[in-house]
Amino acid sequence: MQRRTLLQVLAGALVAPWRGLRVWAQGTPELTAPQLAALDALAEVVLPSALGPAGRSAAVRRFAGWVLNYREGAERGHGYGSSALRRPTGPSPALRYPPQFAALDAAAVSAGAASFAALDAAGRRAVVERALNEPERVTRLPGSPTGENLVADFLGFYANSPDGWDLAYDAQIGADRCRSLDGSDQRPAPFGGR
Amino acid sequence: MARYEADVVIVGGGITAALVAEKLTELRPDLSVIVVEAGRRLFDVANRTLYRRRYLDYGENHWPGDFIEDQGGRGVISRTMAVGGSALHWGGVCNRFSVEDTRLRSMYGLAVDWPVAWDDLERHYVEAERRIGVSGEPGPFPEDQRSEPYPMPPMTMSWNLVQLEAWAEQSGIPFWTTPQAKNTVDGYGGRSVCRRCNTCEICPTGARYSPDYTFRQLLDANRIELHDGTLVRRLVPADDSDRIAVARAVREDGTDDDVEYRARTFVVASGYCWSSHLLLLSASSRFPNGLANSSDHVGRYMTGHLAYQTTIDLDLRLYPGMNEQHSLISRQFFRCATDAPYVRHDLRIWENRGGRGPQLRDDEGRVLLGDDLIADWRTRTTRGTARVRGYYDVHPHAESRLTLDDGSTNRWGDPMPVIEHRVDEATEARAAATREHFETLFARLARANDGRVGRVSGLSYQDHPAGGCRMGDDPATSVVDSYGRTHDHENLFVVGAPTLPTGGTTNGTLTFVALALRSVPAIAGA
Repeated sequence: MQRRTLLQVLAGALVAPWRGLRVWAQGTPELTAPQLAALDALAEVVLPSALGPAGRSAAVRRFAGWVLNYREGAERGHGYGSSALRRPTGPSPALRYPPQFAALDAAAVSAGAASFAALDAAGRRAVVERALNEPERVTRLPGSPTGENLVADFLGFYANSPDGWDLAYDAQIGADRCRSLDGSDQRPAPFGGR
Repeated sequence: MARYEADVVIVGGGITAALVAEKLTELRPDLSVIVVEAGRRLFDVANRTLYRRRYLDYGENHWPGDFIEDQGGRGVISRTMAVGGSALHWGGVCNRFSVEDTRLRSMYGLAVDWPVAWDDLERHYVEAERRIGVSGEPGPFPEDQRSEPYPMPPMTMSWNLVQLEAWAEQSGIPFWTTPQAKNTVDGYGGRSVCRRCNTCEICPTGARYSPDYTFRQLLDANRIELHDGTLVRRLVPADDSDRIAVARAVREDGTDDDVEYRARTFVVASGYCWSSHLLLLSASSRFPNGLANSSDHVGRYMTGHLAYQTTIDLDLRLYPGMNEQHSLISRQFFRCATDAPYVRHDLRIWENRGGRGPQLRDDEGRVLLGDDLIADWRTRTTRGTARVRGYYDVHPHAESRLTLDDGSTNRWGDPMPVIEHRVDEATEARAAATREHFETLFARLARANDGRVGRVSGLSYQDHPAGGCRMGDDPATSVVDSYGRTHDHENLFVVGAPTLPTGGTTNGTLTFVALALRSVPAIAGA
């Protein structure tokens, strides 16, 4: 698939509701096809196996969609009763990703592979662990991407999402979905590997 | 200069303004009413799903443009300035105060009594609940008896709340669902039924009441004029009397720099901060302390309530995220024996995800990835977390004040407000006992289920702020009478939050609205 075609698919799948507001996305970085391939390879190592290939692919698409639709300079919520306005959103965290993708590839090349995506699973895991320990030791998963650590951003983006919680709880909670009140007094249905 | 004339001019466009305008135009359809709001109207309901998504995904403002950059201040001052006011962001909680809140002096020798009989206030609670559209269930205490049922049945309790209620009641304290301004019946007020989207601060379905719905209905029926983007800077008395003759305003967008409103009656419905601010700002050589301020009480007795809160780790299988905005409430502690140490508060319980989330490393610091991360995470899902909070009654000192800060001005050169909350000596004296009460109470709740109480923290600011134009029968110690009419100016009213002498022990919005609705017949006949 050509990069442009891939991005069109991504855009169609992920940002259709925003089509009228796509101006927001202009100027934000787009993940390249090799970077998306690296994320696919990263997903195999860091995401739970219960997701399967389709679930991992969906997680990569959601992350790429988040990057694509990030908007610099947007007003941020000041909340109910808050006395202070918050600074607008800063530059896209994804601006800090290219050297981190390059570092993943460089580590893979050092291990004898052509790229991070071409490295075997054990090798990728070793590279990922190093990326979480050096140069800064990452101790927690960010609630949303910050750009500081690509691996932590990607894993945190999934794990902190409603899908991550649903898998961990093996339940269809769907925290940010609008759902009927009917049946909400019942235990959520099992996740069922969704 | 643009000039407008109306029978009634309402300054402010929040929830009290909306419902006062609605009731006023029902009682007196012959009156012309103009509502003047400094902020803009955000009537783009169709975009709310979009705004909600941007808020969830990126933390963006879910009410874009709902503030005026240079119209702020120091202290607890909400930045929301738009048609709908702070209630745009409202969670929709509609608790009533209790009779004790209005009889503090006579029952406990504390603070002051309100100049409103409870039965009278209760009738206006009923009206407020009907106009807003409140779903709820009555509590078990006879003291909380209602003269009419809630307009809608209560919100279905989530699985989590069912479990939490069963746990909490083992401690001997009854709990039930918190009443809310959210539709449990499709079509009430022309709005849809709640779909527990978990983002009540931006309700994408319209199930949660928002004042912009009322304003749109009033505008569609040509019952009011709404001048948004128009900041009232001064109220000006007539030359030959103490009646207010004119409100002077400016357009926020810079067009028609000066706007003048003449009216028979002026209603200041600008919330706990900007109402006192406008009266103080309207000082003149005839009224050097500002308007309605012969008692020097404007801006004084700023009030609210404080809180203690904690989380309790429980042996309960909960599923965080089912309906995090819905909660349990107990009103058991709304009342306090008159011969016991004084502490009164509400008590709320929510599901909470604290301590239940994913972790990148195990206890030895090893990185957790993939299935290892999930396996580690699942060790934390077998128990549940409850968030528990009680708003408790504190009473304002006379020096709990809003003043004008000459060192901070907006683009028009007007000094901005400073609010410094201060509690009275009696409240200070019982502070340690209040904390001990909550620590004991949280421990009692935890014991009912092998629970572990987390850190107990107090609120560092007064929530649901009110006061500044307190009501009273004595013009020497209050700003307005029980109907919000200022003692000094017969055609000037202040309604809603500013008129409260004390801030009660629970969320204030329903009380602000009930008191404002009670004022309307007086406004209509002024």
